[in-house]
Amino acid sequence: MDIDLSTTDVRTTNAALRALPAGTTARLVNPAGKHNLAVGLTEPITVEIDGTAGYYAGGLGKNATVLVRGTAGWGAGENLMSGLVQVDGDASQSLAASAHGGTIVVRGDASLRAGISLKGATVLVGGDVGDHCGFMAQAGTILIGGDAGRGLGDSLYEAVIYVAGKIKDLGADARIEDLTAEDVELIADLAKRHGFDHIDPENVKRVASAKQLYHWGSP
Amino acid sequence: MCGITAIQVRDAALRPKLGELITAMLGQVADRGPDSAGIMIYPEKRVLKGVGHPTTLATEWRLHEISGTQAIAHTRMATESAITAAHCHPFVVGDALSLVHNGSFANHHTIRRELTAQGVEFDSDNDSEVAARFLAYRMAQGDDLEKAIRLLCERFDGFYTLAIQTPQAFAVVRDIIACKPAIIAETPGWVAMASEYRALAVLPGIESARVYEPEPEEVYLWTLT
Amino acid sequence: MSYDDIRERARLGRYPIRGGGARRKIPTFDDLTFLTASASRYPLEGYREHCATRTVLGAKNARDPVVLEIPITIAGMSFGALSAQAKEALGRAASEVGTSTTTGDGGMTPEERMSSKTLVYQCLPSRYGFNPDDLRAADAIEIVLGQGAKPGGGGMLMGQKLGPRVAAMRTLPEGIDQRSACRHPDWTGPDDLLIKIEELREATGWRVPVFVKIGATRVYHDVRLAAVAGADVVVVDGMQGGTGATQDVFIEHTGIPTLAAVRQAADALADFPEVKLIVSGGIRSGADVAKALALGADAVSIGVAALVALGCNDTVHDFGPASYDDLGTTPGDCTACHTGGCPVGIATQSPGLAARLDPVRGAQRVANYLRALTMETTMLARACGKADVHHLEPEDLVALTVEAAAMARVPLAGTEWIPGR
Repeated sequence: MDIDLSTTDVRTTNAALRALPAGTTARLVNPAGKHNLAVGLTEPITVEIDGTAGYYAGGLGKNATVLVRGTAGWGAGENLMSGLVQVDGDASQSLAASAHGGTIVVRGDASLRAGISLKGATVLVGGDVGDHCGFMAQAGTILIGGDAGRGLGDSLYEAVIYVAGKIKDLGADARIEDLTAEDVELIADLAKRHGFDHIDPENVKRVASAKQLYHWGSP
Repeated sequence: MCGITAIQVRDAALRPKLGELITAMLGQVADRGPDSAGIMIYPEKRVLKGVGHPTTLATEWRLHEISGTQAIAHTRMATESAITAAHCHPFVVGDALSLVHNGSFANHHTIRRELTAQGVEFDSDNDSEVAARFLAYRMAQGDDLEKAIRLLCERFDGFYTLAIQTPQAFAVVRDIIACKPAIIAETPGWVAMASEYRALAVLPGIESARVYEPEPEEVYLWTLT
Repeated sequence: MSYDDIRERARLGRYPIRGGGARRKIPTFDDLTFLTASASRYPLEGYREHCATRTVLGAKNARDPVVLEIPITIAGMSFGALSAQAKEALGRAASEVGTSTTTGDGGMTPEERMSSKTLVYQCLPSRYGFNPDDLRAADAIEIVLGQGAKPGGGGMLMGQKLGPRVAAMRTLPEGIDQRSACRHPDWTGPDDLLIKIEELREATGWRVPVFVKIGATRVYHDVRLAAVAGADVVVVDGMQGGTGATQDVFIEHTGIPTLAAVRQAADALADFPEVKLIVSGGIRSGADVAKALALGADAVSIGVAALVALGCNDTVHDFGPASYDDLGTTPGDCTACHTGGCPVGIATQSPGLAARLDPVRGAQRVANYLRALTMETTMLARACGKADVHHLEPEDLVALTVEAAAMARVPLAGTEWIPGR
């Protein structure tokens, strides 16, 4: 099914996507940066956004596969529960914010605060990420194929960030830890599964919480 | 709070179409600022401001017919000051410096008082006007545009994405936390900046443009040759 | 600040933390009085003649607006700050009297969903436990920008209360001192809030209303912007609003009194007649409810008062250890919600303490309290000659103090004088 966003509004489009049975594929053409495309999906369907998506592409979804064949605006895959949101181009700020599960893949770069408040999802960025990636990330995995900006992993909880490139600097309470065999296996698997051949699993930095901000002392 | 669009046209063949380009861009950020809109056109130094929906205003102004080298436009969702044409961006000050702002400054009252003490006069109670006046004041003191913008980053607290144009230059800067959106696209023929990509998507040759988001507190500056 | 306060900071090396709301003396609804009927106006019979209390919220954009039997709702309080028993009791009470209850910073529990006929689901900066399935199971969505106890600050839950279930719901390690975000992770400012509201509507098929809750500071502008961004309902929480835990300096030194906030909020919504206003912070009596409605609110929310009805600060005799003494507090002046040692089983995650609260009996007290508030509200409305509590208006009120007159913008009693007018 094709839906032309130059003639169909977002509300009608999302209603049509929600009505699709499991296993079907829909293509959204002429997205022209419209917001809230393919949000809140629940069924295992595939939605291809043929161009640029605005804010929150594929946000609040579960089970579905949302493929953005261009760039994405703020909060792509935000609060994802399961399934896949993939952006072929660059992603703007707050990629995968607070995502609980599933996988969010960006083939290009991601802007500031990628993986902010992450709650269990897996985030892969082929290129670089902006400042404050993984800010307050609670659980899950972030794999960065390129370089990371300032304040990486600021106030991390249990989420782990892997960086293949350079790190400008670490945020509060973030530290670089030794890479374990399990880390290497996980990275190799993720890189292979998503075609990120440029990532050498043996040669990434593992960033995790030093856990010095977990407690204030007694009240 | 608002939508920003700005463009510098380098390709002389495109300059007659400046109005057409900025009209299309403005339409894409109208939702971000449905109260009012304003625009500055160079080299004519023509300022248009009005209360109402940006798309309606653009039609009233016959914006698409205008030609030129640069344009900077703003759609406004008023935060603390009134919805009047006087409160519309761009704020045009000094030697035809124009500024548009998305965000909200946190210490502008103090800076306003400091500038007032130096004899600077204001047209409105808008926080963004303080930024424009600050830049014009610094430039009157002998700083170039880039230096003035760096000083602004040091002095102003709060959230801002700023686009600035002078008859010869176009600059973009955002605060250290970069809480408001901004995206830049560059081709040999033009450089443009907007709050959202969709405002850039309407430009000719966007497919092959270099598209990126400005880094926090980095000054981006393009000069017309 | 007292010498003891200085000593406490000298000992701690950080700010003191507590629960509850502002203790300092500030102008309140008590400083207003009603001009009830006499010869120029005619009263309705207090017991016999009808006075409507039905309240509809969110008819602007939602297919299914929230319809309440009374104009008093239960404010957002998290499972985590409160025990599961307390959340269940509040849900049962609200359902019994036909009003709504609200989740909090930590997600929705099945118990509160089941016990609440009308449940408002909060979307907070932390997004702890935020689940689209729960979103779709909710009767309204409340995007929280701030609260009266700590406008501009994030949530807080001390490690003692971050037990296994709470920690799992919030995806946090057990026992840590939780400090939540103060800004939302994926938008900042009203232009982006507009897009966020649309996203939540899309994810729920435009079925339920969207509320926006703010702490009362720059009320006029903030309420206006919430309305411009597309809120169906704006919730304004004044400085008396309570919390389960926050810095004392936040509780006492930020925001404006509810009395001042309600009038500014109502003014801000003058251009948005379809957007409804809920006011909270220090609402205790039916008089408070009636006065808030008269000044322009469509409904009020109660938090601390509902907990007090439930048994908060009650004297306890028969529970043995874990008492007010152990917390260094006394019943009637206990704000140790943050410690998790709540002797009455409300603000705790200790199974032993929580078991002290019987949700069914507790719900009965809260339902009674809500009924009493409603009776007081309708009584005052009838005495003002109104057949509907929503017909109360600012002109039905005068102020007893100059401060209250200035803030509420009603005349000082016995005069035509409104300071500043």
